[in-house]
Amino acid sequence: MSDLMGIAVVTLMIWVGLFGYVYRLDRKVSRLED
Amino acid sequence: MRLADISKLALLVWLAVVIVAAFFYVHAAEGFIGESSRIVFFHVPMAWIAVLAFLVSCIASVMYLRRRDPKDDIRASVSAGLGLLFAVLATTTGAVFAKIMWGAYWNWDPRQTSITILLLIYAAYLALRGAVDDPERRASLSAVYAILAFVTVPFLVFVVPRIYWSLHPDTIINARGTNEFDSHYTQVLMASLLGFTGLYVWLYTIGCRIETIRQRRRQEVLDV
Amino acid sequence: MWRWLSEALAVAGKDLRTEFRTRVALNSLGLFALTVLAAVSYTVGPYRIAVEDRPFLLAVLLWIVVFFAALAGLDRSFVKEEESHTAPLLRLAASPPAVWFGKLVYNLCLIYALMAILVPLYCILMGYKIVLLRAFVVILVLGGYTLAVVTTIIAAIIARAMTRGALFSVLSLPLLLPLMIFLIQGTTGASEGSAETVTNTIRAVLSMGGIMTIVSAVLFPVVWNE
Repeated sequence: MSDLMGIAVVTLMIWVGLFGYVYRLDRKVSRLED
Repeated sequence: MRLADISKLALLVWLAVVIVAAFFYVHAAEGFIGESSRIVFFHVPMAWIAVLAFLVSCIASVMYLRRRDPKDDIRASVSAGLGLLFAVLATTTGAVFAKIMWGAYWNWDPRQTSITILLLIYAAYLALRGAVDDPERRASLSAVYAILAFVTVPFLVFVVPRIYWSLHPDTIINARGTNEFDSHYTQVLMASLLGFTGLYVWLYTIGCRIETIRQRRRQEVLDV
Repeated sequence: MWRWLSEALAVAGKDLRTEFRTRVALNSLGLFALTVLAAVSYTVGPYRIAVEDRPFLLAVLLWIVVFFAALAGLDRSFVKEEESHTAPLLRLAASPPAVWFGKLVYNLCLIYALMAILVPLYCILMGYKIVLLRAFVVILVLGGYTLAVVTTIIAAIIARAMTRGALFSVLSLPLLLPLMIFLIQGTTGASEGSAETVTNTIRAVLSMGGIMTIVSAVLFPVVWNE
């Protein structure tokens, strides 16, 4: 059970991290466009 | 602006919920070894996006050949790049799944073969783009190749699996038309599909914007 | 209508005559095929493979040799026009559909010539027994045709690109792999005598060949005039 918890947490962290990266990229591109 | 930000936040929350649900809301499905059925929540959407991206790329290619708008070429190439990414992800998650279920990372069963060929198509498409310098020629030739490749795909996806005995679990909606899995499972899977599609759309728009800026910059340099 | 056809045959005739004189593609195709055949025959031979595995494994080896020989030699049809700078002349002299069909006929002749020599030799040297012989020939003919159709349009594409050689194989293989899978399956069936497999294969290859013909005929002018 704790293995599953571990994988779930890692996946969540990966997702949040990825989201943050793409969001920053999005903002940077918006700034370049204006 | 506000709406765009809200929808991105919604995407964040949506997929986060999907991840949590994949691990805690759903029981591990029968017929799968251990918890491996949970991989399906990620593997299937990734494969779906790989195919969707290819579809978008081909439609953009057809549009380009019709109206010769450089924006269509941008759409085609951006979608191809994303498609490659998701195809790699789908192959990797699929291999992990295969290892758990059948003991080997790679079996060359029809679905694995199909995704490999899709990967090769993407790689070939990008190699072709890399080999042509002139922008218009590059756009036309890659558009032609994308369409040729697209025509081959139905044979891959439909005919090859039927001819061969397959290790792959039957598609979720099997021949009898009933769901093999319980409703929780289907809910999460559909939610995941939706979330991944949203992610793809977001990445696609960003990619197109980046490429447009790059082209504009290049044009400015030439004009000076 | 007939003008188109005679233009096409003129293109094919010119290519075949040139080829006969210089024998570049024939050499690439033939040398590759015969070398591999010799190597396989020597190392594997008719006895090394277990009887029950033979229909499948020998089918695999046969089509690998044919496909790779094709990849070695079939890009010549367009590449040599670019290299000898005769392409612009050809654009003026003949209409795109005629050029396409002419080049296709040329590639078909090469492939069928290759098969005519290679396949019997292979079956003899490897001891490959085919139960459904007529079906096997049909598979060869249809498979060779589809192979030629795909390689013709890809050759046209890469002739317009900067780098050659490897790009031809890279672009062709993803499109040809499904075909290869069908042909291997069908040949296995023909060797074993399984009529159902053979019919499925023939149907699949026929539809693939038909669709690729139409699509490449439509798309060729785009590539040619680019």
